[in-house]
Amino acid sequence: MSLANRIANLFRRGKVDNEIDAELRSHIAMRTEDNLAAGMSPQRARREALLRFGNPAVMHERTAEADAALYLQGLWADMRYALRQLLRSPGFAITAVLALSLGVGAATAIFSVIDVVLFRPLPFANQDRLVFPFMKSRTGSSLPVSVLNYYEERAQLQTFTAMAGWSTLDRVNLERPEGSISLRAAKTTDNFFTVFGVAPILGRTFLPGEDQPGKDNVAVLSYEVWQAYFNGSARVVGQTVKLDGNPYTIVGVMPAGFRFPLYMREAIYTPLHAPESWARARGMHWMRTVGRMKDGVTLQQAQADLDRVMANLAKTYPQQEEGHTGTLIPLAAELNGFASDGKMKGPMQTLSLAVLALLGIACVNVAGLLLARGVKREREIALRAAVGASRRRLIRQMINESLVLALAGLAGGVLMSWLLLKAMNVFLVEAIARGADVSLNLKVLAVALIIATLTSVLASLAPAIRLSGTDPNRALRGGSGAGSGTSLGKSQHRLRSTFVITQVALSLVLLMVSGLLLRNLQALFKTGLGFNQNKIIAVVLDLSRGNYKDPSGKNEKDPLLTFYHPLLERVAHLPGVVASGVIDLLPIAEWGSGYDIHIAGQPPYPKNAAMSSETRNVSAGYFDAMGIKLTRGRLLSPSLDRPENIASNMVVNEAFRRKFFSNGSDPVGAHIDDAGKAEGKSGIVGVVSDIRQDLQSPPMPEMDWLIDALPPKDRMDTLRNMFLMVRTDGDPKALIPSLRGVIHDIDPGVPFRSQTMDEAVNEQLTFERMESWLFGIFAAFAVLLAAIGLYGLISHEVELRTREIGIRMALGSTRASVMTQVLRRVALLVLSGTAVGWILTLASSKLLASIVEIHTAHDLGLLARISAGMALVGILIGIAPAREAASIEPMQALRSE
Amino acid sequence: MAKSDLQGSLDLLILKTLSRMGDLHGYGIVLHIQRASEDLLSVEEGSLYPALHRMEQSGWVTSKWALTETKRKAKFYKLTPAGRKQLKEAEESFEQLVKGVRAMLRYA
Repeated sequence: MSLANRIANLFRRGKVDNEIDAELRSHIAMRTEDNLAAGMSPQRARREALLRFGNPAVMHERTAEADAALYLQGLWADMRYALRQLLRSPGFAITAVLALSLGVGAATAIFSVIDVVLFRPLPFANQDRLVFPFMKSRTGSSLPVSVLNYYEERAQLQTFTAMAGWSTLDRVNLERPEGSISLRAAKTTDNFFTVFGVAPILGRTFLPGEDQPGKDNVAVLSYEVWQAYFNGSARVVGQTVKLDGNPYTIVGVMPAGFRFPLYMREAIYTPLHAPESWARARGMHWMRTVGRMKDGVTLQQAQADLDRVMANLAKTYPQQEEGHTGTLIPLAAELNGFASDGKMKGPMQTLSLAVLALLGIACVNVAGLLLARGVKREREIALRAAVGASRRRLIRQMINESLVLALAGLAGGVLMSWLLLKAMNVFLVEAIARGADVSLNLKVLAVALIIATLTSVLASLAPAIRLSGTDPNRALRGGSGAGSGTSLGKSQHRLRSTFVITQVALSLVLLMVSGLLLRNLQALFKTGLGFNQNKIIAVVLDLSRGNYKDPSGKNEKDPLLTFYHPLLERVAHLPGVVASGVIDLLPIAEWGSGYDIHIAGQPPYPKNAAMSSETRNVSAGYFDAMGIKLTRGRLLSPSLDRPENIASNMVVNEAFRRKFFSNGSDPVGAHIDDAGKAEGKSGIVGVVSDIRQDLQSPPMPEMDWLIDALPPKDRMDTLRNMFLMVRTDGDPKALIPSLRGVIHDIDPGVPFRSQTMDEAVNEQLTFERMESWLFGIFAAFAVLLAAIGLYGLISHEVELRTREIGIRMALGSTRASVMTQVLRRVALLVLSGTAVGWILTLASSKLLASIVEIHTAHDLGLLARISAGMALVGILIGIAPAREAASIEPMQALRSE
Repeated sequence: MAKSDLQGSLDLLILKTLSRMGDLHGYGIVLHIQRASEDLLSVEEGSLYPALHRMEQSGWVTSKWALTETKRKAKFYKLTPAGRKQLKEAEESFEQLVKGVRAMLRYA
């Protein structure tokens, strides 16, 4: 009732005003009449009545306030007034809005990323029911599941509606008249779509049993693939397409937005199609699983269920399964990289902190600007106070004015964040699973509004409180140089100095972090990879299995003899090719294919020691193509290492030698225990130099096997997805046309995709690049703002002290000494800021550790250079106002007062 | 704290006046408070109006324009049942305050 009244009053302000006026007037009139009756003179009667009444204007205002939420009315008036004021001082307005825009823009951009990573619901039904079992081997390394184990788990688990297996190891070739396209393939068990509870928009998903051989030539399209390659046609269901050369029937299309795994755009879903050898081996761990817990089952109950099943497996198959553990992780946390070991968690926190620092700088910067402007407005405020504005009313006016700034800052900030996101787009899409979904939506805009408002109001609080305390008497009596010499002027300069120091300190922290990040990044780029990334190009070779069968469809054509041999032969003779070879996993980009081994004759290894080695299949020319050097023994050779040999031969790398032959004995001639009889055990024939399999970890032990020595029946499974590595003496990209020509000459069904190793390295570092790029931008913003703040303060001080400097000069101060004095002040501010910045950086090094380790001693040089740079920028900024101070003409300065 | 107490006691004085005197305009309330308190309590007369308007918004009093004995237009205030209840509460809490302060003074 009362609230409605008050709001109603808003719309009849004029009427309410008149009524209050009439009421107050009648009171004064009655008092005057009584006074007259008491015998006072008319003049005295009225004056006495007013005196008793108090200031009518104030009383009116306060009464009106009681009547209505006139606050809003005042707000509007204040804002219009503020807008006029801002337009009158464009320099101030532009700087303040710029500062706010930078802070708000950065914060909004980062929030929109956080929004996608943390808050956006997954494109699945019941996402809180979905869990990802994180399996670990005896040694603690991540361990996929074998098909055999999967089916046992599925049968034994009781707390799950569905537990599905999937693998994204393969790509598939979609054959079209225009040429083959390589698509990402999610190969899944029949209950995969049951887990996610998302219905297809066309057709159906997999039926129970459709993951079994014979029924499994069916495919479900993702929305993107449907749109891009099937023109979004509704008739696609039932159509037969050739995937990897084999006919598949399209049974359904998933809605837009459904993706699993989330990074898979352009995906096609097919049943497992496990290679026969993989399907039969319990020790062949290659599948991931994802499950949906039954309703009402807690994570703990599901975990206990899984533990029970894992224990059963370990009991039944101690050889393969003992010591393996599984931990259920909520799917959302896992997918978004926010699981306990997630890659996103630390960096996101740190980036948020960086954004807060930047916002802080912007806030303090605007506060400083407002303070400076406040000094010039002292007289105006004093006048308002003198005519009866209460202190609260004054503070409110100033905060309302800051809302105008907030709105302008919001507009600028949204624009800025749009630009930032635009620039980040490439990084985002590659570095974050759902990076392509980042957008400035309503939620993000609402947050931007809150950020802008909070920042502006916070910034205007201190100046408003300070300014509203202006003593009208002194301010109005003082000369035109308001603020000079008053205690207000001095204490506000102390406050502004604190602000400038804060800004310098925070910018220094951002600078230091981004400096360290950049250096780490450079170090990663310059890592001893073991090969020259500028001279090597990698071509993806995805063979279509269906094209390697004889016309009867029964017997496979040998991919080694019909594809790889002619390919390698012809590539070796291309102009510009120095060396070439093939490997099954792309160095730097892919690793993790390996198993535990034991060197024959060595004592048993401790049970929990990680004694595994990576394993690769290569052609003989691979080593030369990568520039890998032989250090002992011999390289692999098709003439010596033949498929009909009883035991296979391999070459190991130096990391392997260091790990398994730490006693210094010679690996060449040693064997690994991979067969029962001695003559069947694989032997080491040579040792080669290391290259990195993973960019960010030291070289891992590796065993290399010759593809020519593979038994013919295993060749298709092993050689379906390979990488052709070509080393050139010129620009590797120049080879692309001739490589494409050769490959399509031999098999037109192979989609051509290539990448220089330089690009591969870059791709691996997307996240790190994004991180340092963002920090770099934030630091640049911060330094810019700090510079503005410093410049503003110093030139304002010089302006206020014109008279004092004039007197000094009249008394014999030289221009040089005036300049030195100003610069000394600058130096003091900058050095204090630098000191605080160091303290802050060191104090927060634990927080920062998730993205960058700070080793004070080691990084001292870099950090010192950054600090010196910051200080130098500060001093350079001080030079302009210092020169201005030095150019003051004493006579003029004194006369102008 | 002190401020809200003062405001509270002004409210109390106004409510009490209205409950005693029936309909009154602002000036009349001031006069009554002065008379009844034997000139010990004098308020800045204007500050009565924010209080009156606030109480009206709270539903403790209603107002209407009418003519005074001297044929002058003035706004007359009248206590509502809610106002009467509020008066009772305010009186009680004021008694408590006085009792408490008195006890303190005696003890010290």
